[in-house]
Amino acid sequence: MTSLTWLTFLPLVGALAVLLTPSTAVQLQRMIALSTTLAVAVLGFLIYRQFDAALLDPQNVVSIPWFQLEGGPAIHFKLGVDGLSILMVALTALLMPIVILSTWGHVDKRVKEFMVWMLVMETGMLGVFLALDLVLFYFFWEISLIPLYFLVGIWGGERRLYATVKFFLYTLAGSLVMLVAVIAMLYRFGTADIGALTQQAGALAVADQSWLFAAFALAFAIKVPMMPFHTWLADAHTEAPTSGSVVLAGVLLKLGTYGLLRFCIAMFPGAAVEWAWLFMGIGAIGIVYGAFLAMAQNDLKRLVACSSVSHLGYVILGMFALTSAGLQGGMLQMINHGLSTGMLFLLVGMIYERRHTRALDEFGGIASSMPLFAVFLVIAVLSSAALPGLNGFIGEYLILKGAFDVSPALAVIGVLGVIFGSIYLLVATRKVLFGPLTRRENRELSDLDLREVSLLLPIVVFIVWIGVAPTPFLAQSQPAIDRVVRRCSEARALKFASLSPQRPGETAALSSQAPIR
Amino acid sequence: MNPQSISTLFDDNAMRAMGPLFALTLGALVLLLVGVIPVLHAARHLVVAATLIAAMLLQIGLVNDPVTEVVIAGTYAADRTSALWGVLFCVATLLSWLFSLHYYSEDRPFQLEHDFLMLITPIGMMLMAGAQDLMVFFVGLEVLSIPLYALAAFRRNRARSIEAGLKYFLLGAFAAAFFLYGAALVYAASGSVSFAELRLADRTAPMFVAGVALIMASVFFKISVFPFHLWVPDVYEGSPTPVTALMATGTKAAAFAFLLNAAFLVPASQAGMIVAVALITMAIGNLGALMQNDVKRMLAYSGIAHAGTILLVIAGYMSGELLRDAALDAALFYMGAYVFTAAGAFGLLAVLERSGDGSTTLESLKGLSTRRPALAAAMTLFLLSLGGIPATGGFLGKWFVFSVSYRSGFVVATVIAALLSVVGMAYYLRVVVAMYMQPQSKLLGEPVEPHPGSNVPMALATAVCAVFVLAMGMLPGYFLDQLR
Repeated sequence: MTSLTWLTFLPLVGALAVLLTPSTAVQLQRMIALSTTLAVAVLGFLIYRQFDAALLDPQNVVSIPWFQLEGGPAIHFKLGVDGLSILMVALTALLMPIVILSTWGHVDKRVKEFMVWMLVMETGMLGVFLALDLVLFYFFWEISLIPLYFLVGIWGGERRLYATVKFFLYTLAGSLVMLVAVIAMLYRFGTADIGALTQQAGALAVADQSWLFAAFALAFAIKVPMMPFHTWLADAHTEAPTSGSVVLAGVLLKLGTYGLLRFCIAMFPGAAVEWAWLFMGIGAIGIVYGAFLAMAQNDLKRLVACSSVSHLGYVILGMFALTSAGLQGGMLQMINHGLSTGMLFLLVGMIYERRHTRALDEFGGIASSMPLFAVFLVIAVLSSAALPGLNGFIGEYLILKGAFDVSPALAVIGVLGVIFGSIYLLVATRKVLFGPLTRRENRELSDLDLREVSLLLPIVVFIVWIGVAPTPFLAQSQPAIDRVVRRCSEARALKFASLSPQRPGETAALSSQAPIR
Repeated sequence: MNPQSISTLFDDNAMRAMGPLFALTLGALVLLLVGVIPVLHAARHLVVAATLIAAMLLQIGLVNDPVTEVVIAGTYAADRTSALWGVLFCVATLLSWLFSLHYYSEDRPFQLEHDFLMLITPIGMMLMAGAQDLMVFFVGLEVLSIPLYALAAFRRNRARSIEAGLKYFLLGAFAAAFFLYGAALVYAASGSVSFAELRLADRTAPMFVAGVALIMASVFFKISVFPFHLWVPDVYEGSPTPVTALMATGTKAAAFAFLLNAAFLVPASQAGMIVAVALITMAIGNLGALMQNDVKRMLAYSGIAHAGTILLVIAGYMSGELLRDAALDAALFYMGAYVFTAAGAFGLLAVLERSGDGSTTLESLKGLSTRRPALAAAMTLFLLSLGGIPATGGFLGKWFVFSVSYRSGFVVATVIAALLSVVGMAYYLRVVVAMYMQPQSKLLGEPVEPHPGSNVPMALATAVCAVFVLAMGMLPGYFLDQLR
């Protein structure tokens, strides 16, 4: 049992332990869940420390034969961490204890089940990031749907049933199309190993790649969610309990962007080059569209949810620039979004617990009654609005630089998004925190207590740390990203070579380098 | 027939191959005997359980050491595959029987007859799966069907049960007639009803094709495939729930086992048509289930959809020599997972019918997770397995089926089938929503437990189902190894 197996299944062990407790022992269940996630965080930290970015191959690999269907490839239980997944694993390990701690305030019914699902979810998410076998990846991918379905459906708001079923069916539809693509990959290449598949799939003709690319991209685009598929997100976020929203925004959505990076871009560079314009376009539209949506909201939580659509637009825009800066920016922005949007959801949850409303016009001037809350909210908002010195700036700068190198027009649209983003975030902040303190209920609000401060502080630390010194974080993924960029440039060279028939000699030379199966 | 030829017919191999059948017959007769002697009454459950377990062990023995030749003048095979099916039939019957133990209230005095009829059904199933001859298959079909007609109508005080029995009987009789007519045409065209000889015969003559079409219609009736599926919702809903469980698992598995054996009768060029039928069946089953408010009826439609899914395997099996083994594995694995899943789901419905207001509507399931958490959790597991969510046997079964159908070249059909299973998930989720996310309905009376301690056999059967559903989902390697 290597540490990665422990890392992945420790939450499951915790979930079983919680299951065995009597359902009235609420404090015990909370403590088990918290200590399990803390232990995972420590393990995650150790793995992060050990990780050597210079090695391109996956590290800490554990590989056990699992099963094999007649005439099909052997399926392995294979986990490993590499430059594309290390930051995601760290983010998950960091956020989960915070999420569990945050539930003290708003989950008081059916606590046992809640903790079980939270812990199962952590196993599912870590499994997705760590899986190095395509079947195992799919396994965890679909399992991670179930916990959120229950979390939203049982502990959610008024329209929770609609929201949770919509979320589940939307994502399942995408997943099942991906399932067929997974089967196609297995039998086409005779292996389920993601590393081997990445080597081989890149050599496919672009037309063949595009089909597989499309099937994978559909599943991931729904999960992210990218523009035409985004409608489930606002509902799910609005109805989810605070902790559910934090996990959803913080980690679950990253499963989609991570999938786009590891599968769509790294595995099918030819198709990625071919369709990059489409994704960059959708990303740019998503940035502006999400910002407009956010401006129109009166519900604070819905506003944050819509801002997610906008922020994830940046990630897509950056990644599909397929340059080093763009991909690194996309990678960092995934982390940033997890931190800042996660923090915003936590703050919205804290104020909802006190006032039982999230309507913007119900608030005003509460900076004077809740000064600590005001400080944290301003930090989160500024991080989200990409103030230089905080993490958001680094990510968005890299993304816009990457996009500008490829398409200045789209980069300009992206910059407009930054402006709109500042508008809705700052307007909302003003409405909540400042102005006259008109309502009596708002005057009597109690400020954040020690528990709430202690769960926000680690996030603030990372927000500032990444903002001031992003290099150590970027360095973790740089070599892996460089390799992806290299693949993409090779694919691009091949594409342009085949597009210029006036130099037949060079075309032949280039295409002969790539074995076409 | 002179004694000499009987002894050559029933040689050692034949006796070994027929062992499970003899065990079941003997057990059934002993059960009748025990029933008439009052002193031995207490032993009747023991007899049923021992008989089924003995038959299962004999089948497992045949799995490990199959009879290689086709016995009894080339009519019955006990090869590894049919022995595996045999194990499945014993499991299905055992589970349905366990769920039936405390199911009946007003018909409890007739439990002995009920158990006897149930013990007969696996004999029919085994004959169907092992048949290498159309006539042997027909005998098996009738040995299975006649007890089921009686069992479907077993709750005599309920109009719906009588209706179910009558419907099943009338339509079943038609199906049997179709089969006989088809077999007669095949015999007229080729001069034989033995598979070994039919394999060599010219299978293109119009009369032969017409005969095969009639035979297939009859088998499609049994596995509830479009357009022969219309009886399913009424019969499944009206029959006593444990009997429904047996029909949904055992009967279906037996008919599929025969279909795989007899697939060579259908020209390979017709694989496309089979795929089309499979997709229509899946669509009808899933869309029909979406409309239901009674979970039992919903599961009946879901059974139609699952029959459609497995028909994809048959198409793959037909389309090439290359895929035979993979298709066989997929069919066995899928049906294996389905037996545990569907038996568990119907069994839990049987438990629910015995408590509360006795209905299985979505309304009465509301708030079940707080009333009976273990039952709700097990039901959720079975529903997720039916929906094909990972970590359950249902997921890998679906995966294997889709693999076969993809490899046989029906890529678009595979995508459509995958999307149809999203529709499937939509109605399974409705049940989960009712159990976990909606408060208990006020109309529901106080939950009543019929007999304290009476749930032990049901709990045992549920636990077995749950363990196997999870084991097949997470450690499929072990089960796949058994298939080879």
